[in-house]
Amino acid sequence: MVELTFDPAEARVTEKPQDPRRASLGRLILTDKFFKNFTRAAAAFVLLILFGVIFTLVEGSIPALKEFGLSFIWTEEWNPVKERFGALAPIYGTLVTSIIAMLVAVPIGLGIAIFLTELCPIWLRRPIGTAIELLAGIPSIIYGIWGLFIFAPFLQQHVQPLMIATLGNVPGLGWIFSGPPYGIGVLTAGLILAIMVLPFIASITRDVFDTVPPVLKESAYGLGATTWEVVWKVVLPYTRAGVIGGIMLALGRALGETMAVTFVIGNAHRISASILQPGTTISASIANEFVEAIQVLHTSSLMSLGLILFVITFIVLAAARLLLASLNKRAGG
Amino acid sequence: MDQGLYKRRMLRNRFHMAMSVATALFGLTWLILILAMLLIKGIGGLNLAVFTEMTPPPGSSGGLLNAIVGSLILTILGVLIGTPIAVLAGTYMAEYGRHSKLTDVVRFINDILLSAPSIVIGLFVYGIMVRPMGYFSGIAGAVALAILVIPVVVRTTEDMLLLVPSQMREAAAALGAPRWHVIRQVSYRAAKTGIITGILLAIARISGETAPLLFTALNNQFWSTSLLAPMPSLPVVIFQFALSPYEDWQRLAWTGALLITVAVLTLSIVARLLSSKRTV
Amino acid sequence: MANFAVHASADSLSNAKPKMDIKDLSFFYGDNKALKDITLPLFEKRVTALIGPSGCGKSTLLRILNRIYELYPGQRAEGTIMLDGENILDPKLDANYLRSKVGMVFQKPTPFPMTIYDNIAFGVKLYQKPSRAEMDAIVESSLVRTALWGEVKDRLHTSALGLSGGQQQRLCIARTVAVKPEVVLFDEPTSALDPISTAKIEELIDELKRDFTIVIVTHNMQQAARVADLTAFMYLGDLIEAGPTTTMFSTPKDNRTLDYITGRFG
Repeated sequence: MVELTFDPAEARVTEKPQDPRRASLGRLILTDKFFKNFTRAAAAFVLLILFGVIFTLVEGSIPALKEFGLSFIWTEEWNPVKERFGALAPIYGTLVTSIIAMLVAVPIGLGIAIFLTELCPIWLRRPIGTAIELLAGIPSIIYGIWGLFIFAPFLQQHVQPLMIATLGNVPGLGWIFSGPPYGIGVLTAGLILAIMVLPFIASITRDVFDTVPPVLKESAYGLGATTWEVVWKVVLPYTRAGVIGGIMLALGRALGETMAVTFVIGNAHRISASILQPGTTISASIANEFVEAIQVLHTSSLMSLGLILFVITFIVLAAARLLLASLNKRAGG
Repeated sequence: MDQGLYKRRMLRNRFHMAMSVATALFGLTWLILILAMLLIKGIGGLNLAVFTEMTPPPGSSGGLLNAIVGSLILTILGVLIGTPIAVLAGTYMAEYGRHSKLTDVVRFINDILLSAPSIVIGLFVYGIMVRPMGYFSGIAGAVALAILVIPVVVRTTEDMLLLVPSQMREAAAALGAPRWHVIRQVSYRAAKTGIITGILLAIARISGETAPLLFTALNNQFWSTSLLAPMPSLPVVIFQFALSPYEDWQRLAWTGALLITVAVLTLSIVARLLSSKRTV
Repeated sequence: MANFAVHASADSLSNAKPKMDIKDLSFFYGDNKALKDITLPLFEKRVTALIGPSGCGKSTLLRILNRIYELYPGQRAEGTIMLDGENILDPKLDANYLRSKVGMVFQKPTPFPMTIYDNIAFGVKLYQKPSRAEMDAIVESSLVRTALWGEVKDRLHTSALGLSGGQQQRLCIARTVAVKPEVVLFDEPTSALDPISTAKIEELIDELKRDFTIVIVTHNMQQAARVADLTAFMYLGDLIEAGPTTTMFSTPKDNRTLDYITGRFG
């Protein structure tokens, strides 16, 4: 039997003459403690930004909310001279332009993603994928001035008269497409937003599609399914949460977009039934009026608009992130 | 086999695949059109004067020098302010606090800030800087841009650091190195390329941002490099010039737009090339 | 519950003193007791091998010896492990200092993203501030020690990532011994390497034991038979049996040991 050479009762850290290693390490350990707290503070700072934003927006909105109360949200009138402000027109414009953008961009974006993951020849995938990601990075002001100088006149001269003549006469729906062809307006803004958001949707959906285990698709193909059937019955159901999450992320972006929309929305604080009419969005209103707003109530109303926009996008983005997180869990990530 | 069903399935497949190709072509066509128009209209106004003369009053010729310089200053400052905070935060999330609750919350909030409307950030900085200070300033613009930089760099820093193999960290710790030493000498070194890529992407992002500058740095007709005064910037100048009725202003707006796009695309491409050279 | 038989000392273990003494060591992942009251001496300047089927706890045990498990939350150890009169599990004993005395080589070679020279200098610089000439000498002697010097002396300042797998592992050993620990732990050091590199490293271990106490975890019984003086067999978190290698592999006392060694399970 091998003998143990110590008595556990005596096991304790003894006072030894200082090993120089301990001293050398000591300094490094102090630095370590410092940076542990320093980096933690930096991480907490991110939270501070969020709270700061909320606080500032709320604080700035108080005068307007005190004056108008909750009816601010459903009042259409926006009159700086009479100092009566209502958020209905901007909210309506924000929602409608975003919906138009989603209706156009989602099918096209999904189509591109399906193309990239299933149909595109392998050697083309990287270049096109990269091109799409680069396009997603183009600043929105570019879309804005392109929209103002090229797209809006194009719509005005060639597309809108056609729309008014055909769709404008459809019974029951005609009122959506009525009115003179301004070129600029809610529809134009929605379409520009669609083009802006398109690369984003395509890119995220492509990434989400890539998380499908190849084994899953191969088993479907192996049973004789067509490409479309694999996409519709295997890929999409599997990635449902992720695709919806990606779409909601894009929606969050569209809702908050400023420059692409401001140039072509027309800046009219009113709600029209027809989407060919000018309107305004929350961000366009703020961008156009904030600097010149002199009265406290005007500034405060714009701040309130900002608060409303922030709340809307926060909810949409939070929901999107939660959905995407659930997809990650599924993929084992 | 039911021939009818088979035929229908094949047809449906053909149809949808054709649609898919059509949408891809359609979508890409519009985007290419935009870039093409940008090139044509922008190049038309591109000359040496753009880089040597200031923004002119309407009706006279000039350039974009003060706006370009202003944008450079604001962008560089925004990156200098935002990056250290973001890298440190990302470091905490991937290293010290990898399993902590704080990290989960910060990651969630950070991702929301990532896509938050930039005009709201402009309002925020207006509230905390412009209003108390009493004037619009370049430094306020830089801070607004810094707030846009932070979420991007936090995300990429955390992602890149998480890719560093934990065995490498263990090997360094096994030699007796305390955590910060391991982070600095091993983790940062391994993730260096990825973190830099993230910073480049953040720069690309803020280069074209207009909304947050509208009521922080405002704009300036003249040459101004003072951080305590309104500072000109390319995006805001484009905004002003494009919406004006003056043709020479509009021409300058197109040229400015081209410059921004070239800068953003270059940064993105460089980031991509760098990213492909990563060792983690 | 300590339930093992340690055999009478065979020759290679005569005159051997324990460098580290493990007594009643238990280890918990959360509430799960992964190691059960292990008692085992680790003899100075000898090689002790820990063998056993997957999940038996041998790597877990190894990773307690330098408290590397502390990098992760939710894991804790109870019991005593004596090294030079100090209980290394005492929280008052600094883990970083401990690791300067107990080094570790991992399964997958992990060269740092630096030059070969800097890889070795990394650990040394934690404890000393040698001059350039002194550091050169340390780097050279470590590389000579691990039979790498000839192969890399002309590219000391190139990236360590350019070395082959076997060379990288020898580099990892070199940087571990450069710090002059007293004990070196090897966690399946050759499982990711080809047979030739494996043989080289086993030779190295045999040579290193002249100066260091060595503990090696291996799932390869033949490797244990080749390099170890003492072999300990573990199973499901228990230390079943430990003794001189030759005895363990010829006449083990416990049936489970016999079954494992003859390949009845694994």
